[in-house]
Amino acid sequence: MRVAVLGVGYSGFNTNTPDLNWKELMLEAAVRAYEDAGINPRKDVDSVVTCAEDFWEGFAIFDEFVPDQLGGVLKPTCTVCSDFLYGVATAYMQIKSGLADIVVVEAHSKASDILTFGEVIKFAMDPVWLRDIGNAHPYYFAALEMSQYVSECCINEEQIAEVVVKNKNNALLNSSAPYGAKVTVEDVLNSPMVFDPMRKIEIAPVSDGAVVFVLGNEFVAREITDTPVWVKGVGWWSETSNYDTMSFNAMYAYKAAKMAYKLAKITNPAKEVDFAEVDDRFAFKELQHIEALQLSRKYETGSLMQEGYFARDGELPVNVSGGNLGVGNLLEATGGQKALEVVLQLRGLAGKRQIEAETGVAQAWRYIPTASGTVAVFGV
Amino acid sequence: MFNEKIVDPAELRHWGGKIELYWIYTSGEAGDRFFKALRDEGKFIAAKCKKCGRVYFPPRMYCEFDFSETEYQEISGKGRVRAYTVAWLDKDEKPLEKPEIYAIIDMEGTDGCMIHLLGEVEEDQVEIGMEVEPVLRDKSEREGTINDILYFKPS
Repeated sequence: MRVAVLGVGYSGFNTNTPDLNWKELMLEAAVRAYEDAGINPRKDVDSVVTCAEDFWEGFAIFDEFVPDQLGGVLKPTCTVCSDFLYGVATAYMQIKSGLADIVVVEAHSKASDILTFGEVIKFAMDPVWLRDIGNAHPYYFAALEMSQYVSECCINEEQIAEVVVKNKNNALLNSSAPYGAKVTVEDVLNSPMVFDPMRKIEIAPVSDGAVVFVLGNEFVAREITDTPVWVKGVGWWSETSNYDTMSFNAMYAYKAAKMAYKLAKITNPAKEVDFAEVDDRFAFKELQHIEALQLSRKYETGSLMQEGYFARDGELPVNVSGGNLGVGNLLEATGGQKALEVVLQLRGLAGKRQIEAETGVAQAWRYIPTASGTVAVFGV
Repeated sequence: MFNEKIVDPAELRHWGGKIELYWIYTSGEAGDRFFKALRDEGKFIAAKCKKCGRVYFPPRMYCEFDFSETEYQEISGKGRVRAYTVAWLDKDEKPLEKPEIYAIIDMEGTDGCMIHLLGEVEEDQVEIGMEVEPVLRDKSEREGTINDILYFKPS
């Protein structure tokens, strides 16, 4: 039994959304997704999976605040305390097992409501061993990882700058990417260094939005369309919660990808994957994640980036949507925006940034201070 | 449906909320041992897995790879810088009065490391591979927390 994407909908993505609250953001995305799938949520949906983290929301027990705005009251509902792609994995299993024919997956970000973003991230740090050390923004934790990565893999600052340049310029062709900009490597290198070796422009600023997918089994999919996009594989993996045993080298993404590739029967990702949307909430993370997804070999990723291999018109486009550097940090909806871009590209609905592709990968990380992440492979 | 939206920004409504939350964070068996030894004797404790021999720092009462018990042992507290960053912004993304240097320090005699601050060194003098040693708060001021270590300095 294969699992298909029946419909997608989204709201945003914007730097802020003063007119809608988070429930209305979800509603907007959901209404669009149901229209896209041509279903009636009150009749056709068997299960609803939301992805959220209480501390991002500002209240406890998030799962009690759904499913009304998704049209899912009086139905099986659960919240996965993680990224959208974990929700896709959950829905995939519910459909594969025969438990449900049609499952809705949702994630959102109303990051602009969070007045103390740094403080919330600090709450995720080990309170006994780490949280109270120094007074810096917890972005320092990512900068430490970057320091290790660039020294281990001989990455230079021009190569990191190329990631910012590529993604912000890609974002100019995406009307839902508020941080698009015509920047050059020189601009990046001249911009402020805030967590040396990390520059401010390498950190994705937050943004708001919601993503809803309607997933269904093969039979339902065939009734709706002759050319569905399939969820070919899902994978997720955690290293450890302890900084002393973390790889600081995206082992989580490597293992999650292995799991997803196995399901998708992909044996040579660098050849079989046509494009990828990866987590680039810090510019160096894109390079690290490309390697972890086995789309390039260690030590060659930086130079491939400079040669344009991962550009929109390159051999293996990465973050054509603009990535997080162009779209923003969407919190738990980060993987949702990535999966959305993959589906739009596979359907041929990506407008001016359309590329030719049959297989695409979406990947998300659990953000600072974790070593966990997830991968989904989509194809036609 | 759903076409009624607020278009006048002057009408927009929100209210400011805050969450006041307080905890005590239990240091745990291993943490208690570590912080008492640090506070009372200025010593560093690590934990060795009885099965695989991996030496954990920070110490803990179980090996996460074997899921088996550990035993405690004293270490020097010295280490070597594996990675570092010079942080210029505080938690609200405002400039810090003085930049702070954070480092991942591989701890001598262990397979583990510590994330902490570096001190008594200029930002441009820090190097990966640099040997460092801990500087502790004066004994009378120690509280049995991670901040009893003020920073690590070049040794």
